[in-house]
Amino acid sequence: MNWTNSCLQRLSNDRLAFIFPAFTSDYTDHPAQSVPGFGERFENFLQTAAGLEDIELLSFDFHSNNFLDDELKTQFITYAYSCTLSSLLREVKINPSISAGYSMGIYAALFDTGSVTFGGGLEMIRSAYRSLRSSLDGSYGMGTIIGLSDRDINQLIDKVAPGVQITNRNAAFSYVVSGSREGISCLLNAAKEEGALHIRNLQVSIPYHSVLLKYGAEEFTRRTKHIEIKTPETRILSLIDSSILSTPELIRDELYRNLFRPMNWFTAMETLMKTGITEFLECGPSTALAKNARFTEGIRFYPLTSIFPSPSATS
Amino acid sequence: MVTITEDIRKEVKDIVYRFFAEECEVDIARIHDQTGIINDLDGDSLMFLELIEIFKKKYSLDIELKVIGKYAVKHPVTTIGQLIDMQLLIIEHGNAILELDK
Repeated sequence: MNWTNSCLQRLSNDRLAFIFPAFTSDYTDHPAQSVPGFGERFENFLQTAAGLEDIELLSFDFHSNNFLDDELKTQFITYAYSCTLSSLLREVKINPSISAGYSMGIYAALFDTGSVTFGGGLEMIRSAYRSLRSSLDGSYGMGTIIGLSDRDINQLIDKVAPGVQITNRNAAFSYVVSGSREGISCLLNAAKEEGALHIRNLQVSIPYHSVLLKYGAEEFTRRTKHIEIKTPETRILSLIDSSILSTPELIRDELYRNLFRPMNWFTAMETLMKTGITEFLECGPSTALAKNARFTEGIRFYPLTSIFPSPSATS
Repeated sequence: MVTITEDIRKEVKDIVYRFFAEECEVDIARIHDQTGIINDLDGDSLMFLELIEIFKKKYSLDIELKVIGKYAVKHPVTTIGQLIDMQLLIIEHGNAILELDK
C-alpha cells in the first residue's frame, strides 16, 4: 500500500481525533473510495452485518443510494463504513488521541477504541432503534434551524411548539430540534418567518436526544446489559457533557443518556481545541461533520482525499 | 452606515469568489456572477452564514442574522452575483436593510 503522502506525514497523532457520524443522507460522495483496501474490508463488514442483522444489507450499493429511507439499515451501513475506515487507518499507525461519536455514531467510536466488538456495536444499534421506536406512540421527527439564537428558538418553542426541544448545538446559530412531527413542522415554519437563514426537516422518525426517549433508553439499557464493554484503548469524548469516557461503567451510562439527553457538538469541539486536539478525520460516508466544524476557529478537518488521492488525481 | 465605494465593491466580490473557490474546491476562474451557489457549486446555508460572519468582522457590522434571514426570504439568493449584491446591501444598510422594502 502506498501511504507516503505528504499530508499523511503531517498528521500528528497527539493532536488527532476521529469523529464518527450517525447517519448520512447520501452515499454517493463515498470519501473513502480511494483508501487502499477499503472496498474489500467494507464488503466483509457488510456481510457480517447482513448475517447478524439483516440479509437485505447485502444488496447495498453506493451508486443507487438505496436504504436511505430506512433509518435502521442506514445506521448499519454507516456503522460498517465507519468501522472499516477507522480500522484501516489504525493499521497504518494513524492512531487518534481521542475518538468521538456524533449522536448514534457513538457505537462506531466504541468499536474504534476496542471497547465493543463489531457485532456488539451492531446489536446496540438495533436495540437502540427498537427500544426507542417501541416506546413512542405517534409521529415524531427532528429538524435543523440555522441563523437564529437558542433564545430565539426557545421563545418560538414556547409560542408555537410546546414539547419540542433543542437537542444539539452544531455551531453558533446552528441548532437541531426534536419533538412531535407536528411540533417540528410548526417550529420550522415559525423559524423561517422569524428570519432563520435555513430550515430543514430531517428524515428520521425518532426524536433523538429528546427527553421523550427516557423510557426507551431504560429499555435499551435492559436489552444491552449482556453486551461486554471493555476499557477503551484510547480516549472517548462524551458529546453530552464533553467528559472523557474512560471506564466501561462510564461508557454504559453514556450509552443510556446519549439517547435522551441533548448533545452539544460545538462545545465538544471547543473543549478538544483547548486540550490541543486540532486535527480531525471524519470516519464516515460523508463530510457533514467537517462542514459543521467550520465555525470553530483553529481546527482542521482533513479530507480523506488529501491523504489518499484518487488514482485519477495523482496520474 | 457604510458608503459603498468601488474599492469596497471590488473587495467584496474578491472575498466572495475566493471563499467559494476554497470552500467548494473549484478553480476560481470557473466562478462568475451567474454561477449558481447550490446548483453549480454545491454550496449550502452554512457557507452563507460563514460568509456573513466574515463581513461582520471585516466591516464591524452590527446586524442581526435574523434581519438578514427576513430580507433573504423576500429576496432569495441563488447566484454568486446576487449574493454579492446582498452582501453590499448588508454592509451599506445594516439592520435597516428591511427598510428598503417599505
